Amino acid sequence: MADISDKARDEFFSEAQEIIEGFSRDLVALDDAEKRGQGDPDLVNDIFRAVHTLKGLAGLFGANKMSTLSHDLEEILDDLRLGRRPLSREVLDMLFRAINVYEQILLVERSDKQIVPAEVEAFLSQLTVFARRDLAPSASPQVSYELDAGLLAVLTEYEEHRLRTNIQNGFALFRIRARFNLITIDEELERLKAKAKPFGEIITYLPTGEGGDIDAIDLEVLMASRTQYDRLVEVLGGPNVKVEEVAKRIQQPALHLTPAPPAAISEEPPPPDPARSSEAPRMALASTPPPAAAARSPSDAAEIRASKDVGPGLSLRSVSQTVRVDIRKLDHLMNIVGELAIVRSSLARITERVRSNPALRELGVDLHRLHRGFERHLGEMQDGILEVRMVPIGQIFEKLGRVARQASREAGKQVNLVITGAETEVDKLIVEELSDPLMHMVRNAIDHGIEPPGDRGKVGKPDVGTIAINAFQKGSHVLIEIEDDGRGMDPKLLIETGVRRGFITEDASHEMSSREIFGLIFIPGFTTKASADMLAGRGVGMDIVKTNIGRLGGIIDVQSERGIGTKMTITLPITLAILSALIVQVGLHTYAVPLSSVQEALVYDLGQVRSIDGREVMTLRGATLPLIHLSRLFGVEGDATRARGFIVVVSAGPRRLGVVVDFLEGQQDIVIKPLGPSLRGVRGFAGAAQLGDQRVGLVLDAPALVEEVLAGDAGKSSLGFRRDVA
Amino acid sequence: LSDLARAPRNLGRRTHSLERGPVTEYLAFRLASEVYALPLAHVREILTLPPLTFVPRAPPDILGIISVRGLLVTVIDLRCRLGVEQAPANKRTRILLVPSPTGEMLGLHVDEVLQVYRLGEAEIEPAASALGGNVADHVAGIGRRDGTLLILLSLHPLLASTR
Repeated sequence: MADISDKARDEFFSEAQEIIEGFSRDLVALDDAEKRGQGDPDLVNDIFRAVHTLKGLAGLFGANKMSTLSHDLEEILDDLRLGRRPLSREVLDMLFRAINVYEQILLVERSDKQIVPAEVEAFLSQLTVFARRDLAPSASPQVSYELDAGLLAVLTEYEEHRLRTNIQNGFALFRIRARFNLITIDEELERLKAKAKPFGEIITYLPTGEGGDIDAIDLEVLMASRTQYDRLVEVLGGPNVKVEEVAKRIQQPALHLTPAPPAAISEEPPPPDPARSSEAPRMALASTPPPAAAARSPSDAAEIRASKDVGPGLSLRSVSQTVRVDIRKLDHLMNIVGELAIVRSSLARITERVRSNPALRELGVDLHRLHRGFERHLGEMQDGILEVRMVPIGQIFEKLGRVARQASREAGKQVNLVITGAETEVDKLIVEELSDPLMHMVRNAIDHGIEPPGDRGKVGKPDVGTIAINAFQKGSHVLIEIEDDGRGMDPKLLIETGVRRGFITEDASHEMSSREIFGLIFIPGFTTKASADMLAGRGVGMDIVKTNIGRLGGIIDVQSERGIGTKMTITLPITLAILSALIVQVGLHTYAVPLSSVQEALVYDLGQVRSIDGREVMTLRGATLPLIHLSRLFGVEGDATRARGFIVVVSAGPRRLGVVVDFLEGQQDIVIKPLGPSLRGVRGFAGAAQLGDQRVGLVLDAPALVEEVLAGDAGKSSLGFRRDVA
Repeated sequence: LSDLARAPRNLGRRTHSLERGPVTEYLAFRLASEVYALPLAHVREILTLPPLTFVPRAPPDILGIISVRGLLVTVIDLRCRLGVEQAPANKRTRILLVPSPTGEMLGLHVDEVLQVYRLGEAEIEPAASALGGNVADHVAGIGRRDGTLLILLSLHPLLASTR
């Protein structure tokens, strides 16, 4: 890449990434539309524009491979737009692969190593051949509608193609005349387009040059539709909108059907009358196509199209009201809020001291009021920053669509991916970290879950398998369910494999609950499939999925029924940046327990505690609650002088554990920070947080503790040093 | 690069440096009764002991974590690592902030910081010749000055066992 500043480079990458994501989104939508048998020309256009922009970007930054790729894609897409090339599976596959290649190229560019993978080179040369392939010449236009020659002359090649396609498909043409206020024309036009979209396609729109005044302008919109005239009038019509049907094959141009195009654009139409031309120059600046006589290259056509979409009244002022922000800057702001929260806690203590002094009553009241105000604003600020960090989880679902498509093709299976809840919002960092585990789970579902089409038929299932992904918010958590209607998991096979590989003993296997049995798939190195295959056998197993989700403070749960399917549920906190925690003490040590994993806190009453097989348990509302003394678990000295302790009931999914501590200090919002790499091997802590007065408290990783205590025999003795556990 | 930076100062002591060879600055500190020294260039900061948070389950030579302006720093017990007898912390206890080979900032817990020594190459005995072949990697050599014996440490081997 050429020598450019880091900042510009960052901008380049984030912009390119954004465009590629849009490309990907549109392509998935196009693929869907195509499957339903209804092509969407708007999507092809959007993709064409995305590629065109990428080409420009690549040129600007000297990313040569990206230029080449964009150039060839642009040609193919232009052919698609203009109907010179049908939208075949082959083309779609090529486009899907192109997204991966774009991403690979970006990686190469970012790494500065400039070593282009061989597969990228291979794809580029393949694409070049593909783009240059001879195409069947397009049919000559046969317009059977009576349209003004002047109008036809100003149609771009693309618009001509769309007009022809619509006529060939038996659509009727309508002419809509609408008057727009110049100030609000952008929005009004968009509204009209949105209203018209379900009923047909808008082929072009031009200013009529008639009837407008200083504040308003008349546009003529040519629309193709299968809908009846009356219905269209009903939907689109209004005080400023008139709909007319364009008559078929009328030899004599009817007067009202022939509004002239603005300005003398081609030689063929009669010169417009003076009144019209006086209107024309104003519009010419904004949206008039270039003279038809000039040869239009495909990319010219695209630019015209693009500028038209902006609509008349185009200006150079950016329409975007958004800013792109590096997430680290938000982290920094969040850290400051965290520090302020510590100031607030100290302030609260001082306020209490002042208030309890009768001599300072008045001062205390004032201070208390100030403190309340500070607290409220700080809370609002925290919420505001958190809100900025939130993005719809749908961002990764789009990637999943692509992965599912590719994986199902490779596996020779047909899969329909059904996504709901894409608008559910989650912290940006969580979304980033979630994409790999989810991708792996979808691949797994396709590879191991969904049966080959033949087998599905035999058990009376439809040939096309379904993978449903559903995301929704539940309290301060986000749940993501990945459900397939495949063959389900066989508990017997899981147990057999577990015993054979020595993960469980024969005896233990008889006492396992179904949850524990399905939990076996999360053990590193556990696989029931004889040979690791391309899809799911890449060394990234479900254990990694579980670890990654655990790192986000989430848990994963499996349900499966043979012959019916498998459902995996991921439960995640909404944000990582700040969390409410219960501060507890064990002897001289202070720990924070994230409130998201705390169910309740109880007084530790020896009278209710029973000992079973060396473990302490108690009965809580009819269910057995295993207990663990934090002092024993961590090998630290508890407070022996304290007669009573407290039990913090923590949960991981459906499992509960009572953690016995000496004292509950209260609730506090904390900014959690990761422990250094030198402590990576230490399990049981999610990080540490500043608790005020320079104190640092360790934050318990409650799900990991639940896991550890309930899985092992840690309840009987404290664990030793585990530094070698990576 | 650090040699370059120091060049102008060396000019003033030319006669000495000619005799002593290239000069390196060492920060000397005490652990129990022994005096150790690390190249000063490695030491980013010297802190008085902030509240230390014990980390259960951590390796025995990790004393805990501290917060240095919001950054969590793991504190390493040099006594434990160097096999020196244990003693409680006191007023003179200091934390030396040093970067690990992986770039993590680590704290070294020492009993007392003494002074900076400028040692020429000629004043340093390489570990192998002074102590024989079988010396731990983290001992770089022995420095002598004014009757004091300095055990010169090499930072990266010293931290190599910290991951």
